[in-house]
Amino acid sequence: MQYWINHNGVQSGPVDIDGLKEMALTSRAYVWHEGMTDWVKITELPELQGLYEMAPEDASAAATQAATAPEQIPAAAESHAEAAPEAREDARPPREAVTGRPCQPLPPAQPAGSPYQQPYPYPAAQPQASGAPVQPKPKSPPTNLVWAIISTLMCCLPAGVVAIIYSVKVMNKYNAGDIEGAERASEVSAWWCIASIVLGIISMPFAYLVPLLGQ
Amino acid sequence: MRRLLLLVVAIAVLLVFGFIYYALDPSTTGIFPRCGFLSLTGYKCPGCGGQRAVHALLRGDVVAAFKFNPILMIAIPWIVFCLFVESRRTRNPRLYARFNPDLLLLVLLALIFVWWLLRNIFNW
Repeated sequence: MQYWINHNGVQSGPVDIDGLKEMALTSRAYVWHEGMTDWVKITELPELQGLYEMAPEDASAAATQAATAPEQIPAAAESHAEAAPEAREDARPPREAVTGRPCQPLPPAQPAGSPYQQPYPYPAAQPQASGAPVQPKPKSPPTNLVWAIISTLMCCLPAGVVAIIYSVKVMNKYNAGDIEGAERASEVSAWWCIASIVLGIISMPFAYLVPLLGQ
Repeated sequence: MRRLLLLVVAIAVLLVFGFIYYALDPSTTGIFPRCGFLSLTGYKCPGCGGQRAVHALLRGDVVAAFKFNPILMIAIPWIVFCLFVESRRTRNPRLYARFNPDLLLLVLLALIFVWWLLRNIFNW
């Protein structure tokens, strides 16, 4: 069984049960797998019991509907930063938090590498009561750097260099907070990698022909 | 399951190519692909000598491998590590972000260009 996870606004997956064990989840995580109509809290899936730690607001019953939640959360615990906005959303499925659009996880049939086109169900983190702003970041799109380097070194073509440049752009834009731009750059770099490899293969016969013509 | 299959296929392909490059010497055998950039322009590309370097490496001659293409020899362990990080991207996004900082990427790009230029000037 493959699960999709939304933990503190960061979506990941698909992972299997073993993957979930490695993820240090808390009871704040939402889960979806194929066949489900909507995300549910991880606490509601019986087969996932024991794979997460109790978040503070779930541990104390008072926190579930309190608008005063920020004061109850230990300021030092960085990973619990967004407990406050979430505690209020607790009863509702996460998709309604930001937009009215449905937020189904990608069905596995869609092309891999594009799980970023959906809205992130959680609102951006608000600065804590202590004043320390903690922004949860969605994970970066793939930079494709490895493939760019490989295609540059193996396929002898400047197209690989263009792919590297776009790989750099991915992280540039991601670090600047431009997630959409990063996704676009990621896609472009992937296409240049493919172009580099294809051109490399096409050009091979010519590489044999040129010395022959020179004779 | 799909990942496992991918891994098995990748290892099988690596083994086949590894055997070919171990058994045959690219500098004397004609079946290996040649560099299009070198044939068309007369200048070496950053990857030129890579096949001979891999052959030398598989035969255990590290010094010769470095002479054929040092940048590839440096890149191989790094590429292996990057592939590992890449495979952990969904499970460990923080590790991924740490090993894909934009500064590192720019340095790499500069390194490749400098190497490209220098090897054609000094005929490395």
